[in-house]
Amino acid sequence: MNRKTYLLSRFLQLVATFLIILTMLFFLFRLALPDPTTALVVEGLSAEEQQLVREKFGLHLPLWRQYFIYLRNSVFLGEFGTSFHYKAPVGPIIFEKFLNTMVLMVVAILISYTVGPALGVLLTWKRGGKLEIGGIVAGLVFRSAPMFWTGMLAVMFFGVSLGWFPTSGMRTLPFDSTGFLDTVFTLDFLHHLFLPALVVSIYYMGLPMLIMRNTMLEIMGEDFIELCRAKGLKERVVMYGHAARNALLPVVTQAAITIGLAVGGQVVVEVVFSWPGLGREMLQAVRTSDYPMAQGAFMLMAFMVLAMNFVADALYGVLDPRVSVPGEGR
Amino acid sequence: MKKTSDLRRSAFWKIYGKMFAEPFRVVVRDPLALVGLFLLTFIVVVALFAPWIAPYDPDEMHRKVEGVLYRLADGESRRLGAERSFPLNAVTVRGDEAIAVGGEGRVARYRNGGWVEERTPTEAELFAVVSGARTFAAGDGVLLREEEGEWRIDLEREGTLFKGLALAGDSGLAVGEDGTVLKLSPSGSWEDVPHKERGKMAAVSLANENFGFVVGERGMLLRFENGSLRREPVRAFRDLNDVHAYAPDFAFAVGARGSILRFDGTRWQEMFGPETRDLRAVRIVNEKLAFAVGPFGVVLKYDGTSWTVVDTGYRRNFRGLGVADGAVLAVGSDPFVNELSPPTREHLFGTTHLGRDIFTQTVYGSRTALLVAILASLVVSVIGVNVGLVAGYFRGRTDDILMRIVDIMYALPFEPFAMILVLIFNPSIWIVILAVGLLTWRTNARVVRSQVLSIARRPFVKAARAAGASDFRIMFVHIAPNILPLVFLQLAVAAGFAITAEATLSFLGLGPPRMHSWGTILHAARLSGAWRTAWWWIVPPGALIMLTVVSIFFIARALEVLSNPRLKNER
Repeated sequence: MNRKTYLLSRFLQLVATFLIILTMLFFLFRLALPDPTTALVVEGLSAEEQQLVREKFGLHLPLWRQYFIYLRNSVFLGEFGTSFHYKAPVGPIIFEKFLNTMVLMVVAILISYTVGPALGVLLTWKRGGKLEIGGIVAGLVFRSAPMFWTGMLAVMFFGVSLGWFPTSGMRTLPFDSTGFLDTVFTLDFLHHLFLPALVVSIYYMGLPMLIMRNTMLEIMGEDFIELCRAKGLKERVVMYGHAARNALLPVVTQAAITIGLAVGGQVVVEVVFSWPGLGREMLQAVRTSDYPMAQGAFMLMAFMVLAMNFVADALYGVLDPRVSVPGEGR
Repeated sequence: MKKTSDLRRSAFWKIYGKMFAEPFRVVVRDPLALVGLFLLTFIVVVALFAPWIAPYDPDEMHRKVEGVLYRLADGESRRLGAERSFPLNAVTVRGDEAIAVGGEGRVARYRNGGWVEERTPTEAELFAVVSGARTFAAGDGVLLREEEGEWRIDLEREGTLFKGLALAGDSGLAVGEDGTVLKLSPSGSWEDVPHKERGKMAAVSLANENFGFVVGERGMLLRFENGSLRREPVRAFRDLNDVHAYAPDFAFAVGARGSILRFDGTRWQEMFGPETRDLRAVRIVNEKLAFAVGPFGVVLKYDGTSWTVVDTGYRRNFRGLGVADGAVLAVGSDPFVNELSPPTREHLFGTTHLGRDIFTQTVYGSRTALLVAILASLVVSVIGVNVGLVAGYFRGRTDDILMRIVDIMYALPFEPFAMILVLIFNPSIWIVILAVGLLTWRTNARVVRSQVLSIARRPFVKAARAAGASDFRIMFVHIAPNILPLVFLQLAVAAGFAITAEATLSFLGLGPPRMHSWGTILHAARLSGAWRTAWWWIVPPGALIMLTVVSIFFIARALEVLSNPRLKNER
């Protein structure tokens, strides 16, 4: 099995998994809402009118046909239905919120996956000292402090007490913008981005730091490090130039996986900072029983997890030529 | 027969006992893990003994009573001294001293700009105090006498709520709500004054030794003259709360709905009052100056002809007035919800916007956190270990199918999935456990499976199979003990995850309703909007989540050595 067939099989697996999740969602939602007309139809509609509504939405068809219509709409047409709350198509709303989430998460993860590994190398370099223990403790503490808590503390301290940063939203209201890019490329946006990005990146920093340290410890025992030292290279060059480069692989793949999970996984940060992202939208959908919105948002989140896992697999092969087929040990 | 089963049992304990003892030894040897173990033990103890540790009911709305003393003067009012933590019902002024009495039999003396609390032999609420030649205080069933700073019980009468006290020269009067009227004889003892009045009495005042008034409910107005009580010819119809007889020809009585009556030496007359709210107390300074006070900071001033409202800017309830030599002191008190109080001795972590004790809520929160952690991690381990065992042992098609399911589970992001579950079912602690259980076993299954794959190839498994052991027996008797350290590790990790998960869902308002958890406290703080400033509300629950989870991480880190001995040299 070469890399191409491996990736192809992973891709097929991705599609199959996604279909299974879609199916699960369909039946779960049907379980919760046996007759969607009750949610769509205003009260006091006559029986004939209700029937008309059912036909319009295809609800008079047998369940299996509804299921296939659902699959066709959500996979090929990108139609996720009409939001009960906004009375508008779910697709564009979700896409907009998705971009907002991504801009926050990608920035935060980039920061933590640049700083984290660098710290991890430092921990390996200064092994056995107080720095190492402190670093490990700090890494574990960062990972165990819930983000909504650190977020609240950050708002309270930097936002309210010191007044350095705005505490909610993406821009100071009211603002004019013609689109996403127009919103994002401003200083005001960066000002708003700072606190949430800080909180998210601190939370995510622990993992790459510890992973980096563990991989580094393995690599430090290898022959080529001895060779580097024998050549008389400075310890800093050995560490950052030779060992770290070889230890980056697990960190990079973890970064991809983290981005996938972050799309849906960090609702709390968006809630604390009133960031108009996908997670907050989904929470609102759950609160207002906006089934199509919740369903659409979940599909996108699950898709992102799958897609980024696939990217991680692909990266693995590209970055480490020695690994032709990852997962062979199975 | 019995012997064999005994043997079998001891063998069982030998195998499993060792497996339990080893992780413990590892944890104790690692300093970080030891710290974790201590922290965790502490939290478990707190959770177990929560009702004994927590000083209050977590839902109790704490009220606070403050007594305040105000100096009312011409056109201004000034607050004096620090507030007391008990209600002040009455005050009397003598010279530059004031004595205020209130709930729980407490007495405070105001002297030289500061309060000194004095000990009394009672805990009954005190309603009246008077100071002249002698000093008395009266309240629920007791009359107290003060001599040289020492308070003694002068008289006890069960069931009588003494509401009013008056002194004039050697004479004195005390009235009780139940109609008791006591006269102070020159010898110093209290004697009942017989009368035929029914109705609750509220206050008494003496202009001199032989002349005074008693007021009470439904406009009761009695004249005290020469040792006997007699009804005044004019009768108001509203409850009267206080009376002050300044001279035999000048007295005021005040009562419900802002009613004010004036005595001009012959008869009582209703006066126009600018207030429609209740008046609680009235005191006359001289012919040209008098004050009346009531709830919601109502202060009225009499200037010799009419009453006007004085704006003190103060909204708490006034209950009593005291005058002497031009100094007018008003005491007030009111129970109010002790909202958003920063940490104090009564409330170690302060209170919420509803006056609930955050320390108590935090203590009870540890129960929810540990309950979820234990149940969820057990569910996770049971599913994960069994799936991993079966997949790793049988391999082939079984393995493929199970691992595909695991792959699918890996595609479900936790929080959104839990939100969907809450949307479809209703929020409860079981949904939290279900969500954690359904989504976390995937890791356990994978890890256990890979370990089982290698163990199943070892000679002793082959030997067991050759000896005719069943698959079930091989899996659970021969393989399972060997993966126990790993199971412990995963159990710990799952427990940490479960605590965070529960806190997260509760923070989002999707957690178990009517249960106190650290996440719920933070959720309430966020909803109230007070979290931007009320640090005491946010810091404790979050810090406890962090401490609990990090102590689990510390322990897990040590256990990792057991399942992955290679790490031993790296630490």
